[in-house]
Amino acid sequence: MTTLISLEGVARDFDGGRIVALRDVNLAVANAESVAIVGASGSGKTTLIMLMCGIMLPSAGVIRWRGVPVTTLKSWTGLRRTEIGIVFQDFNLFPTLTAVENVEVAMLGTVASSRERRRRAKDGLQTVGLGERQSHLPHELSGGERQRVAIARSLVNDPSLILADEPTGNLDSISGTAIMNLLFDLQRSRDMTLVLVTHDRSHARLCKRQIQIRDGQVFEQAAGRPREVAK
Amino acid sequence: MNHVELAFRNLRRRPTRSLLTMLGVALAVGSFITLYGLSRSAYENVKQSIQDVPSDLTIRRAGAAELFGGAIPQSLISQIVEIPGVAAVTGELIALVESDNGDHVLAAGWTDDSFFWQSVPLDEGRLPRHGERKVALIGIDIADALQKHVGETISFLGEPFQIVGITRFKSVINRNEVVVPLADLQEVTFRPGAVTYLSVRLANPGDPADVDRVSSAIEAIDGLSVSKSEDVLRHDSMVGLLRAVSSSMAWVALLMGVLIVLNTLLMAVLERTREIGILSAIGWSAERIMGALVLEGFILSAAGSAIGILIGIVGAHLLGAIPAIGRYVAVRPTIGLLLATVFAAIGLGIFGSLYPAWRAARQSPAAALARG
Repeated sequence: MTTLISLEGVARDFDGGRIVALRDVNLAVANAESVAIVGASGSGKTTLIMLMCGIMLPSAGVIRWRGVPVTTLKSWTGLRRTEIGIVFQDFNLFPTLTAVENVEVAMLGTVASSRERRRRAKDGLQTVGLGERQSHLPHELSGGERQRVAIARSLVNDPSLILADEPTGNLDSISGTAIMNLLFDLQRSRDMTLVLVTHDRSHARLCKRQIQIRDGQVFEQAAGRPREVAK
Repeated sequence: MNHVELAFRNLRRRPTRSLLTMLGVALAVGSFITLYGLSRSAYENVKQSIQDVPSDLTIRRAGAAELFGGAIPQSLISQIVEIPGVAAVTGELIALVESDNGDHVLAAGWTDDSFFWQSVPLDEGRLPRHGERKVALIGIDIADALQKHVGETISFLGEPFQIVGITRFKSVINRNEVVVPLADLQEVTFRPGAVTYLSVRLANPGDPADVDRVSSAIEAIDGLSVSKSEDVLRHDSMVGLLRAVSSSMAWVALLMGVLIVLNTLLMAVLERTREIGILSAIGWSAERIMGALVLEGFILSAAGSAIGILIGIVGAHLLGAIPAIGRYVAVRPTIGLLLATVFAAIGLGIFGSLYPAWRAARQSPAAALARG
């Protein structure tokens, strides 16, 4: 399988080197692969996700996208616009925009026609099962519904890679399970790459690969076998 | 949804603040239009008042800071009229004098043989007869204000004058002016034999060489300064001072509008740090984020300017209603001034939003997202 994104000798420190979040990370993620990143709180999972989408630049090492080094924030912004979708733990929706408008915001700059943006946003919400809730504001939606809006937003530009940072962290177990099933269904049906940060071992086991982060270092775990979360 | 709708949605989130910002810009624009209009109109009105009674050269006391500030002996008229190339010379005494109701009225004293009489547009009545004393021509606006008619009397510094005619000059200054025989005004103001300035008509006003020669001959007389009549205001320090003060106040008002926009958007950027981080996370470029903030600044200043035009027009009318101003200056904001002000306000509003927008665009998306 072709490598989509790779990290070579990547390190990230803060506070002038006093805090080392990640050290010498070497990791390659292939097209259409699903990878779980697990580890204790503060182990560097979120930092790794931030580096993989260019919201943060590494202190050392190289990150390649389809084999090409990506070194500037500007290049990463372009990738996030079209190639990388991000799902956050706390949804990060705009409180004054309706569900459909929250999805549309991601297309301001990629889709010129406002009619086309609206059509694709509605389709996206339909896909995540929110066809009837598109004119609701975030505070009128449940946590699970908000996360579905965030997933629809992350998918609306047909990205190759979805980075999901603890997407069920703020949800109850039933909503969490539903969101996980949705994410994996979409990943498989669209042949996307999914990198999932999670505390939940059962969610991690749904991925083809599991990466353990401990004290800023990455350890590959034995390959798992993708399967459905118990409904 | 598009960028404009998104900007409106963001501004509507804080309706009170957005409204106050717009009103701040509106007041700045309104003040600018009123004050700058006053400055422009003051100049135009004085210029028009000079053009109402045309002459070619104006002679004033050398070193006098403003046109009405010096005194020249009337006896010089006979000396200057002898200069070759001079067709006619007349003197005018200007004074602000107390009238019937304690109001101050601008009075002009003209000699019997002044060529100014030929330029008087009479609305009613007649001109003073040769040698006639204690008679007055009053401007139509001051006649209306004081409810005076032909045949009635009006007093200046306690002396009664009979109104023989009402004038309808173009300039608001002359429409509020009273013209009396020079000798009478010299008498009531205790300035016998003095005029404020002299006006000259030339035999060949279109010949620059002749104009220069006559000017030099007049300036050879000790203590006199000569200007072409159309240029006389350029050297008038009172008009210059009025224009400078009102222009400065106008620009200060407009700059305050810029600071208001800057402050509002800076607050918005600080409050929306996390949202700006989210925009960056979903692929908005720094330029797009900057553009969105500048668009909000544009909307605030454009809406504020629209309200400001109304305030400016109303303000100009209110200024004109103050007798101390309205009798000498008709404050009329022109379409050109309104458009220039709106463009300036919108331009400065955009300028004021650039710094907050730049701050928003340059902040680290990771740090912005970390803000809860």
